Amino acid sequence: MSAPDLRDRIARDLKPARPLPPPSRRALVLLPVAVAIVVGVPLVNAFRGDMAVIGFLRAWGFSIGQAAAGLTIIAVALRESIPGRSLPRVALAGVLLAGIAIPAGVLLLTASRFDIGPSAGVAFPEGLACFRVSALAALPSLGLAGLLAARALPLRPVAAGSLYGLGSGLTADAGLRLYCDYTTPGHILFSHIGAVAAMLVVGAALAWGIERVRRR
Amino acid sequence: MAPAAKKGTGDAGARDAEAALARSMEGYLAGQIDAFDALYAALAGRLRGYLLSLCRDASTADDLVQETFVQIHRSRRTYEPGRPVTPWAFAIARHVYLMHRRASSRRHRFEESLAMGASETDGARGAADTLADRDDVRRALAGVPPDQRQAVLLHHVEGYSFAEIAARAGVRVNAAKTRAFRGLKRMRALLARSDRS
Repeated sequence: MSAPDLRDRIARDLKPARPLPPPSRRALVLLPVAVAIVVGVPLVNAFRGDMAVIGFLRAWGFSIGQAAAGLTIIAVALRESIPGRSLPRVALAGVLLAGIAIPAGVLLLTASRFDIGPSAGVAFPEGLACFRVSALAALPSLGLAGLLAARALPLRPVAAGSLYGLGSGLTADAGLRLYCDYTTPGHILFSHIGAVAAMLVVGAALAWGIERVRRR
Repeated sequence: MAPAAKKGTGDAGARDAEAALARSMEGYLAGQIDAFDALYAALAGRLRGYLLSLCRDASTADDLVQETFVQIHRSRRTYEPGRPVTPWAFAIARHVYLMHRRASSRRHRFEESLAMGASETDGARGAADTLADRDDVRRALAGVPPDQRQAVLLHHVEGYSFAEIAARAGVRVNAAKTRAFRGLKRMRALLARSDRS
């Protein structure tokens, strides 16, 4: 294609185009979803038994903080989806590691003891139940974030998907911790951090799939 | 002029150039073709130099510059007004180069597998039969309408995606897929006919 051909083609197709809003503003589209998840998960299931013991700030404050961190990471994913605004690799790895560590950090800051867990016989089914609730709660924001990212041009789709998967997982886990009062390391690692990590992988796979479809 | 003053002038020049680019980009977003012309004039040479440094082939670099502007056009909504245009455009150029490299390596693998298949066939059936088969394929390809032939060659031989073929031919992606599908179907029919005869 020569330069005049290119110009003709562009001229034929040229229409006014409204630029996408900045990533932080686009991430705010997910705010109602995040609020619904944080409030909805304990409302649909049950509030944790020790809400009164841990206090309002440590219960709601840290959950709201974790959900805000999730939304911030989704905003970073939307920024990553814009050409020329990709994160450096070290920063990307740092965000991913810090994001995965957030549920553990919140637990360390809010729990007074680390031996409250399901009884021996039901540890796995209860762990699986928490994992499932977390994963299902993350799906709406994951899908919406995937659509928002795909409207831009993610040049590293797997990186963008990992970020919005992680953000969605964190938001869902913020609601789950208002319902689940278990503090044993095994449960936290598998059902909470594991679910967040799983959403990271699902986000990466979703973004990769969307990119494959787009390229066809 | 003192070096510090020169540097100051250089920085100011770069800032002015970037501001002019941003204005052109905003005009382009508003649908002005003149703004596209200004953008092309300002960026094409620099993008060509960058792409040439990546691919080290002048004619490929020229093609990639055109492809970059097609991609810039398609994703112009992702430009954030007020931000520098150059890093945005260069990131798209790099993406175009990486896609080209991926398509080239796919094409290379395809050609290698063809060559291996041909050498295995040569051993089994002899060179004369292989040449006859190749002639049949060539004849079948020649019997396919030109637009379908182009789609078959670009997708199945050159390794281009349907989106890329659609962009080249100026048609929709589904039309490119249909052309390749119909082209292959026609080739199969022609090959089956030549087998029977």
